[in-house]
Amino acid sequence: MAGLAQHGVSRRSFLKFCTTLASAMALPPAAGLAMAEAMAAARRPSVIWLPFQECTGCTESITRSHSPTIESLIFNVISLDYQETLMAAAGHQAEEALHQAIKDNFGKYLLIVDGSVPLGMDGAYSTIGGKSNLETLKEVAKGAAAIVAMGSCAAFGGIPKANPNPTGAVSVSDIIKDKPIVNIPGCPPIPVVMTGVLAHYLTFGSLPELDKLGRPKAFYGETIHDRCYRRAFYDQGKFAKTFDDEGARNGWCLFELGCKGPVTYNACATTKWNGGTSWPVESGHGCLGCSEPDFWDAGSFYKALSMPANPLKTVAGAAVAGAAIGVAVSFVNRAKKSAAKAAHETTTLPDLEK
Amino acid sequence: MGEMQFLTWVRGTGLNLAISIFLLGVLVRLLEIYSLGRKKDLAEPRSVAGASGMNTVFRRSIPADGMLKNSPITYIGGYVFHIGLAIIVFLFAPHIKFFQDLLGFSWPGLPSQAVDFAAVLTIVAMLLILFDRISKPVKRYLSTFQDWFTWALTFLPVLTGWMAVQHLLLPYTTMLALHILTVELLLVFLPFTKLFHAFTVFGSRWYNGTVNGHKGVAV
Amino acid sequence: MGLENFAEATDTTRDGLTGNATAVLHEVAELLVALAERGETGVIDLGGMPLSSADKAWLAERLGQGEVEMTLNLDGASEVRETAFHGVWWLVHHNEKGVLTGEFIETGTVPALVSAHPDDIRQAADKLGFLIDEL
Repeated sequence: MAGLAQHGVSRRSFLKFCTTLASAMALPPAAGLAMAEAMAAARRPSVIWLPFQECTGCTESITRSHSPTIESLIFNVISLDYQETLMAAAGHQAEEALHQAIKDNFGKYLLIVDGSVPLGMDGAYSTIGGKSNLETLKEVAKGAAAIVAMGSCAAFGGIPKANPNPTGAVSVSDIIKDKPIVNIPGCPPIPVVMTGVLAHYLTFGSLPELDKLGRPKAFYGETIHDRCYRRAFYDQGKFAKTFDDEGARNGWCLFELGCKGPVTYNACATTKWNGGTSWPVESGHGCLGCSEPDFWDAGSFYKALSMPANPLKTVAGAAVAGAAIGVAVSFVNRAKKSAAKAAHETTTLPDLEK
Repeated sequence: MGEMQFLTWVRGTGLNLAISIFLLGVLVRLLEIYSLGRKKDLAEPRSVAGASGMNTVFRRSIPADGMLKNSPITYIGGYVFHIGLAIIVFLFAPHIKFFQDLLGFSWPGLPSQAVDFAAVLTIVAMLLILFDRISKPVKRYLSTFQDWFTWALTFLPVLTGWMAVQHLLLPYTTMLALHILTVELLLVFLPFTKLFHAFTVFGSRWYNGTVNGHKGVAV
Repeated sequence: MGLENFAEATDTTRDGLTGNATAVLHEVAELLVALAERGETGVIDLGGMPLSSADKAWLAERLGQGEVEMTLNLDGASEVRETAFHGVWWLVHHNEKGVLTGEFIETGTVPALVSAHPDDIRQAADKLGFLIDEL
């Protein structure tokens, strides 16, 4: 670990980082040591990061992983051969770096993608160096050992895909079908979740156990609701009615203020944000459900799960129609009744059973 | 379709459709029934104490002589599940939020554990009533498809709602979506089955009471 | 019992203990025997199991305080405490903001993190040699 010392990271700090990370991923303590040895000895696998139709929030988030020395460590322990926001090169030099990395490490590099892939206008909505993201993805994916879809846009389509999806945005797994893909959703994902999955891959050479949406179960195995510290209030029915009311200040459940915690799988309630400082619910705002597919189209962030997701458009019209039909039917019935009376018809058993 | 998208559909399009059909159906049937009016009774009205529409409405809330002993489950089970349903639907905070969105106003609810208790009682009462309908030969003979169907339509929302809150069997997202779906089915079929008694029971009783009261008979 | 007291009246934990602390103590005992008989070190991740704060307090009380207390300054303080049982150490890790990031019980002569690594010692020896040369 001589290289680490050069970056001001002591062996002990590194070991401490790996053991706490292993603990966060619910791995046994021995795995922390294995991680440390593997990461320190690793032959600096090549990592290519392609940014597509994204806001750069995921890159911003990953650079907040624990302490600054640690993620610069990761970017030195791996060989981050292409990352537009963080690399110094630009223009033709950057393109050269990309092609060289692909050539030298074909079949072995890890491909990280953030941002969705637009299909509209033959992919012209998002291009790098004149090439559409769609084309670039297909090309670079060919030589990748595995693909990490970083953030909700890459994993599920994200905000560009939200109704009416003007650019025809789709997720990475909608395009690439023949490579192992791990989805790390979140808008953005929690920093240590991103580095944790990368660390797992570097240590074990494979992707961690995934759920049916391709998310690592270590971080996305439980709902926010199941780990929420305000759960006791939910169970008792103590809900905050408005922001900053008495209940809110007492830390009551935010269900009525639109919290999507019960239907959202993520690690915010346990791992938290900003190095464990806090997370949305703890700060008084309901969960947005940002690690679930199509969360932008799941109704207002401020409408409880028991409320209609969209305005009820046809209800008023249906009521009017119902009244109209009712009145029409009543005229028909009255006419029938008068006719029956005039014809001196008697009431029979079948009539009563109608 | 993923579980989240299913939930969004039942909370959005599904709910819109169900409530629309419900309102349309209720209005059609209410107008259809009540527009028929009554045949004018030209006889001299008799006035007998206790024989009127209002009297019948309240009198029929109590089992007739000997009936409670004859069929306790019908009456006790019936009251328990009706009251239970009212408590669950109108006094559970998440449901009150739903009505607030629809009507623009809300009211205070009960603690969630009280509603949970009511839900369990309701489920037990409904199962007992079903068992009674199956095991009593006369009841079973009289039962048609509609009787079993409407029982299921009413039972499933209570069961799925309770299971969702308790986090039983399926993941919450799916359980909640199923709950909302079963509620939508209940709404869609209510105006066109015997469940419509929700809107006509008191009107019916009043009608019978008035007509017979005119003749001097307390029913 | 009115409806307001319903919640408190239905709480079933006694003094906040879940019963898991006893299980952990059993595990510590087993690891200590392994250390004594075969020199094998062991680690228990306290963050990895459902322990309430009452459970942890119960465990800390049973294991007690030993003769050694250390603070490691590693991107945030880590406290190492020997318990009243030789060979059983309690480690608490914090990040730079003072937030708890991990808690472990280790069995060994010293916790793995405390020992100086042979490679680091080799480097240090060279470094000290250079320092003396320059005097």
